[in-house]
Amino acid sequence: MIMLSLLLVSAGVGAAAAAKAQSQIGGESSGLTGNPGRGNGLKALFSVMYERRRPLQRQLVEHIQLTLFAMGLAVLAGVSTGIILTRAKKLAAPILGLASIIQTIPSLALLALMIPLLGIGLAPAVAALFLYALLPIMRNTYTAVDEVDPAVIEVGRGMGMTERQILVKVEIPLCVPVVMAGIRTSTVICVGIATLCTFIGAGGLGTMIMEGMQTRGSVLILAGVIPAIILALALDGLMALMQRILTPTGLKLQR
Amino acid sequence: MIRFDRVSKTFPNGAKAVRDLCLEVQDGETLVLLGTSGSGKTTTMKMVNRLIEPTRGRIFIDNTDVMDQDPIGLRRKIGYAIQHIGLFPHMTVAENIAVVPKLLNWPPNRIEQRTGLLLEMVGLDSAEFKGRFPAQLSGGQKQRVGVARAIAADPPIVLMDEPFGALDPLTRERLQDEFMELQAQIKKTIIFVTHDVFEAVKLADRIALLDGGKLQQLATPVELVENPASEFVVRFLGQRRFHLSLLTRRVDSIMESEKVGDVKPEKPSAFLQAAGSLLDALYRFKTSGRKELMVYRNDKCCGSLSKKRLLDNITMTLEEVGRKQ
Repeated sequence: MIMLSLLLVSAGVGAAAAAKAQSQIGGESSGLTGNPGRGNGLKALFSVMYERRRPLQRQLVEHIQLTLFAMGLAVLAGVSTGIILTRAKKLAAPILGLASIIQTIPSLALLALMIPLLGIGLAPAVAALFLYALLPIMRNTYTAVDEVDPAVIEVGRGMGMTERQILVKVEIPLCVPVVMAGIRTSTVICVGIATLCTFIGAGGLGTMIMEGMQTRGSVLILAGVIPAIILALALDGLMALMQRILTPTGLKLQR
Repeated sequence: MIRFDRVSKTFPNGAKAVRDLCLEVQDGETLVLLGTSGSGKTTTMKMVNRLIEPTRGRIFIDNTDVMDQDPIGLRRKIGYAIQHIGLFPHMTVAENIAVVPKLLNWPPNRIEQRTGLLLEMVGLDSAEFKGRFPAQLSGGQKQRVGVARAIAADPPIVLMDEPFGALDPLTRERLQDEFMELQAQIKKTIIFVTHDVFEAVKLADRIALLDGGKLQQLATPVELVENPASEFVVRFLGQRRFHLSLLTRRVDSIMESEKVGDVKPEKPSAFLQAAGSLLDALYRFKTSGRKELMVYRNDKCCGSLSKKRLLDNITMTLEEVGRKQ
């Protein structure tokens, strides 16, 4: 998760540096449109972010919305499918394989593919994000449930638990750590790819980034990138906390 | 009482795990299913609680066919302990033990009381172990919890599938001893599966020796060793037969019974148990250095045994066993 965030950081810094380099070559002043001269780094950044606080706020909210909608659907679909696949193992390889292939489709391409199906705006964006978030969750759920100690399942059955009781009282509690790890991965992926959703009209922090790139204003780019990174880290941190809270004590001791 | 009436199990892949088994397990008896891997002993045991269902034949518990009962309700009334123990890692010791009582909707304070009692019964300090997690337990402690869990709801029948198999020999021996003490107290009907003939003769009231899914002999430990019913049984006992004989034959089978009119002194410091094995008697002769020892049953003297008589008997056994091989 830290790795992905670092990737976002370097991507953001890279974009800002590229824009700055371009503007230097072009002889224009770097910085913001409408603001003469170049402010020095951080002060300029904060003043831009303050000036643009309303759009920034709106884009942040859109970004969070995109992430949460997609993640909500992905968790529901991913966890239940993961569990179902352990009961129908023959389907596991093809379905996990399919999700894996979807993950390798370049993000912008998948987003574009959604347009003919769902138009532009929120729907195709959430759909694409959902597809990307699906694999880590589904695969982690499947693996976690599949790897529950068979002795424990046998004993549960032998003691008179119904299949449903085994699922709820035994399999699910034992899977929480691994499933949460999958959800964390998916969340960070979502925040990252959501920056592209501006291209299909779904808003998000990508809008500011794109504006910065078009006007070669590196500070504007950072004004979009940095909140995205912070959002990714914050959500990852939140998931980590939830993971720690939800992991049964007995499992923590096994480490 | 558990009755197997011509029970057979053939698996979908064609393997005939159990063939035409007829067997009765008496109430309060420890019946050991003994055999090598693939002999059908675990399959037989699992048919009692319907984890496996027979292909042919019927299994009766107290004259009710197990197939006529709801499998879930059936299993909640039968204790189950396996080799790999299978404690739920996310539950405490107390929660593990409480699983079946909770499934049966026992009131919480009854569960708590019973848990404390069971921990003491299996030799674990209740206050210390109640809140521990399986990851914090040794192998022996885990299996003790496993046994406590199996008898938590006080089932009349307990199924145990090589429960001590995964333990080191010392711990295994200790748990076997404790198991026997426990069983003497609680007197449950136990079906115990093992491949270890020494464990079988130690724990069993009767042994059912299986091979290839068929019952080869059903007998008490001493009968099995003294009167093997077939070539297979002789081969199964093999070189261990002599040792087994010393373990299974009892002092009261070779002692001189008390003569009427003899003066009975106080119980001496060194004596023999009537139900003790010949091996145990040998040991006591060695440590006491005496040439003759009195034999006691329940603190009452019932006979005497001389060292010479014991050794003569053992030599005879050795010759017999050698001859039969």
